[in-house]
Amino acid sequence: MDRNQTHRNRKRALKTLHFIALFATMSVICIPGLWIVLNSFRPTVEIMAKPPIWTPTFTLDHYRAMFSGAGEGGVPVFSYFRNSLIVSVVSTAIAILIGMSGGYAFARYRFKGKAGYFVGLMLFRAVPGVALSLPLFIVFAKVGIIDTHFGLILVYVALNVPFTIWLTDGFFRQIPKELHEAAEIDGCTRWQAFWKVEFPVARSGVASAAIFAFLTSWNEFALASQLTRSVGSKTMPVGLLDFTAEFTINWGGMCALAVLMIVPALILTFIVQKHLIAGLTFGGVKG
Amino acid sequence: MLRRRFPEWFVLLLPAIIVIAAVVLIPLIFSLYSSFTPYKLTRPSTLWTWVGTYNYEKILTDAKFWAAFGRTVLFLTIVLNLELVLGLGIALLMNKVTWGQRTLRTILMFPMMFSPILVGFQFKFIFNDNIGLVNNALQSMGFNVALPWLVDGKLAMFSIIFAEVWMSTSVFAILILAGLFAMPRDPLEAAKVDGCTPWQSFRHITLPFLMPFIFIAMTIRSLDVARAYDIVQIMTGGGPARRTELLWTLMSRTGYVDARMGLANAMGYVSILLSIVFTIYFFHKLSAARAQIGMGG
Amino acid sequence: MKRMNILKALLASTSIVAAADSAMAQDWGSFDGVTIEAKLIGGEQYEGLYARIAEWEAATGATVDIISKKSHFEIDKEIKSDMAAGTTDWCVGSNHSSFAPQYEGLYVDLNDLVPAEVIAEFVPGIIGASTVGGELLMLPRAQFDVSVLYYLKSNYEDAEQAAAFEAEYGYPLTVPDTWEQVKDQAMFFADPPNFYGTQYAGKDEAIVGRFYEMVVAEGGNYLDEDNRPIFNSDAGQRALQWFVDLYEAGAVPAGTTSYVWDDLGQGFASGTVALNLDWPGWAGFFNDPEASQAAGNVGVAVQPMGSVTRTGWSGHHGFSVTNDCENKDAAASLVMFLTSEESQLAESAGGSLPTRTAVWEANIAAAEAGDDPFRAEALAAFAAGAEYAFAVPAIPEWGESTNLVFPELQAAIVGDKTVEEALNDAAEAVDELMRESGYY
Repeated sequence: MDRNQTHRNRKRALKTLHFIALFATMSVICIPGLWIVLNSFRPTVEIMAKPPIWTPTFTLDHYRAMFSGAGEGGVPVFSYFRNSLIVSVVSTAIAILIGMSGGYAFARYRFKGKAGYFVGLMLFRAVPGVALSLPLFIVFAKVGIIDTHFGLILVYVALNVPFTIWLTDGFFRQIPKELHEAAEIDGCTRWQAFWKVEFPVARSGVASAAIFAFLTSWNEFALASQLTRSVGSKTMPVGLLDFTAEFTINWGGMCALAVLMIVPALILTFIVQKHLIAGLTFGGVKG
Repeated sequence: MLRRRFPEWFVLLLPAIIVIAAVVLIPLIFSLYSSFTPYKLTRPSTLWTWVGTYNYEKILTDAKFWAAFGRTVLFLTIVLNLELVLGLGIALLMNKVTWGQRTLRTILMFPMMFSPILVGFQFKFIFNDNIGLVNNALQSMGFNVALPWLVDGKLAMFSIIFAEVWMSTSVFAILILAGLFAMPRDPLEAAKVDGCTPWQSFRHITLPFLMPFIFIAMTIRSLDVARAYDIVQIMTGGGPARRTELLWTLMSRTGYVDARMGLANAMGYVSILLSIVFTIYFFHKLSAARAQIGMGG
Repeated sequence: MKRMNILKALLASTSIVAAADSAMAQDWGSFDGVTIEAKLIGGEQYEGLYARIAEWEAATGATVDIISKKSHFEIDKEIKSDMAAGTTDWCVGSNHSSFAPQYEGLYVDLNDLVPAEVIAEFVPGIIGASTVGGELLMLPRAQFDVSVLYYLKSNYEDAEQAAAFEAEYGYPLTVPDTWEQVKDQAMFFADPPNFYGTQYAGKDEAIVGRFYEMVVAEGGNYLDEDNRPIFNSDAGQRALQWFVDLYEAGAVPAGTTSYVWDDLGQGFASGTVALNLDWPGWAGFFNDPEASQAAGNVGVAVQPMGSVTRTGWSGHHGFSVTNDCENKDAAASLVMFLTSEESQLAESAGGSLPTRTAVWEANIAAAEAGDDPFRAEALAAFAAGAEYAFAVPAIPEWGESTNLVFPELQAAIVGDKTVEEALNDAAEAVDELMRESGYY
C-alpha cells in the first residue's frame, strides 16, 4: 500500500516535471516567433517603447499600409506571394521528380563508384550560398535567365535534389524487389510497375522530402536576393528588405509581411505532419 | 538511342547530374579560376590577369583570416553539438506526449518557417541592449542592467549562437523523433525485465539505435549551416572589433562591398573545403553507426 | 503615422498642382515608342517620387520599365554584379555620392547631355560631390543627407537640473554648441540603463563617417592630397578619444558599437536618449506621436563644432545614365525630370532635403509661413548644417577603406586597443590598400 503510494507520487511528480520541461521548451521555441506576430499588430511607438509596454494595443495599421499603394508604405505583397508560391511549388515538384529518379537508381541498380556518386552529389549541397551567388549570377546573366522564375526554380531544384535522393533512396531500398517483379510478370511495364507498386509505398518519404524542399525554397534569401530584381520575380524573403531604407527600418511592416510568409508554411506543415514523421523514419536510416 | 549507349541507372541519374552541374559545378569552376586572378567586380578586365596563388598566399598569411577561420570552426562545433543535445532532449520529451502530438510537432517546427534573414532581424531587436525584449524583461523583473548582448565578446557569440540554435534545433528534434518512433519496443521491454535502470536502457539500447538518425541530422545541418551567414550578417555584421567575424561575413564583405571577388573566392574555397570536411566526417560516422545496428548497405 | 501621411499627401498634392502648369510648359522632348529600363532604389522614403514617372511618360510618349527596385546596399551589390557580368545595357540607375566613384566607366558624363544652365540650378557643392574626375556622374534628387543635432527639449526646462549642471561643469546648461559640451551633458544626463546621454553609429561605413567628421572638426583629415591616410594624427586621436570617453563613462548605450542608423533612430524615438546627431529622414518620425515617444519634445539644432570647426559628413542620392544605354537623350530627359524643380518640391514635401537652390528657398519660405513650427525649426537647422557639409573622398577605395578602419575604431571603443594603437593599425592597413591601388 505504502509502496504503491510512493510509486504513484513519483509517477505524478515525473509527469509534472515532464509537463514543465515541455512547456518551457515550447515557450523558448514560440516566444521569439510570436513576438514577431505580436509586433505586426502593434503601433510602432509601442514596439520600441522604453519602459516597455507589456499590455499591447491592437492595430491593423501595418497590414493596411502594406496593402496600400507605393509611397504610402505599400509593397507589392501579392506579386511577392505569387512569385514565392510559383518558385517554391514548381521547384519542389521538379526536385521531387528528379530526386526520386536518382534515388531509384541508387536503390535498385548496382554500378561502379556508387558510393562516390552519392557522396559527390551530397557535397554539392555543401557549397555556401554566399560563395555561389556571384559566379552563379555571372553564368545566369550570360544565359539571360536573371530575374526570371525559371532561373530561381533551377537553383532551388539543384539545392533540393540531393536531400530528396537521400530520402527516397532509403525508401525504395526497403521495398522488396519481388514486388515489382511480380507486377512485371502480371504484364506491367517497369514504368507502370513503379507507379502502381513502388511509388505508393514511398509516398510518405516523398512527402517529407517535399516539405523540406518547400521550406528551403520558401525561405531562401542569399541566392534569391542576387538572382531576382524586379517585382516580377522577387520572392517574399527578398521583399522583406523593402521595409528598409538607407537610414530607416519599418519593423512593424516587416513583421506583417513575415506573418504572411509564416502562416502558409505553417498550415502546410500541419497538413503533411503525419507523413512527415513516417517519411523520415524509414527514409534515412535504411540507407 | 540513349538507352543503348548508357546504362539505365545513368539515365535515371542524369537529370540530377545535369541540374547540379549547371547550377553548382560551372559556377564553381568559374570561381576557382577567378581565385587565381585579382578579379575586381567593378573592373571586369581584371578577370584576365593571372596572379597565380597570390590571393591564397595573402589570406593564408593574414591573421584576421585565420581568426575568422578558427571562430567559424568553433561556431560550427558549438552550434552542431548544442543543437544535437537540445534536439535529443526535445525529441525525448515529445515522444512521451500522448495527446495533441500533431499540433505540438507543428509548433516544434515553427522556427523552420522563418527565413534566416528574418531570424537575423528578429534577434537583433530582441537582443538590442537599450530597447530589446530581453533587457526590457530583465529590467521589468527588477534587474537594473542593460547587458550589451551584441557587443560584449562572449555575449555576442552567445547571441548569434542562440539565434542559430533557435532556428535549427527543430531539424534535429524532428529527425530524432522520427528515429524514436521507428524504435522497436521489444528490446526496451526485455531490458526492463532484466532490471536495467532507465539510464542504462537509454545508454545501451535507445542511443545506439538513434545514432544513424543523429548523424543524418548532423550531415544535413552541416550541409546548410552556412545559412547562418544571413543571421550573423544582420545581427552583428562580424563585429564589434571582429569579435563575431566568421568566414562567411568576411568573404561577403570582401567580395561585394570591397568588390574584390578574386580574393573572396579564394576564401570561398577554404570555406567550401571546411564544409566538405565536416560533411565527410559525418558521413563516415553515419556509415559506421548504420553498420553497428546492422543496417549497413 | 496617419497624420503625417495626410500632411505629406496634402503638401505633395499642392506642390503637384503648382508643378502641373510648369510641367506642361517644360519640354521633356518626344521619345515615342522608346522604353527606358531603370534600376531604382526602393524603400518607403524613395518611392513617392516614382509615382510621377507616369507624367513624364505621358509628356514624352516613352515608357519606363523599372527592372529592379532594391534597398540601398542591395542595389549597390546588384550594380557591381552587373558590371562583372557585363549586363549593363539598362539606361537609368539610382546612384549615391558615396558609391559613384566605384562604378568606373559605367555611367556617362552628364555634362554632355544636360544643359549647363540646368546644372547651375543645383547647389554647387552637391554638383561638386557628384563629379568624379571632372565627369558629372549623377544628377542629384531631393535626398540630400547631412546630420544635425536632435535633442529632448525637456532636459533644458528643469531649473533644478540646470543649476546642478552649472555647479558641476561651470557653465550654464543650454543646447550644446560644441562636441565637448555634448560630452559633458551626455555624461550628466546619463542614467544607464534607463536613460543615455547620447549614442553613435558603431559599425560599418557609418562609424567611419562619424569619426571622419569629428577628425575634420578637430582640424585634421582622413586622407591627404595623395590619398595617404593621415587620420592617426593628433586630431584623429582627439576625435576617437571622444567616442571612447563616452563609452567608458556609460553615457552611450552599451550596445552602441552594434548600432547603425535604424537602431539609433529607434533608440531616440523611444525617448531614452538626450542628444542624437542624426539624418533628415528621421525628423518626421521623431515628432510623430504614433511612431515616437519623444514626439512633441524634440528640438533640432545645428550640429555642434569641434575644437576647430563645424563639419557635416554628407551624401546624396541621384540618378545616372549608363554608357551602354541606347537612347541616352531619353534617359537624360527622365533623369532631368526626376530631379526637376517640380519633382524636388514634391519629394522634399515628404521631409527630405532638396539639392536645388530654388527648392531650398521655397521650402524654407513655406515652412516659415506655415503652421508647423517643428518643421520650420528642423529645416532651419538643416539649412545651417548643410553649409558645413563635406563629401567623402571621390575615390573607389573609400568604401573598402572604411571596412579596414571600422573594426579598429570598435577595438579602441570597447577597450581592446588604445586609441593610438587602433588608429596606427587602421592607418597601416589603409596605407597598404592605397599603395596596392597605385596612388603612390
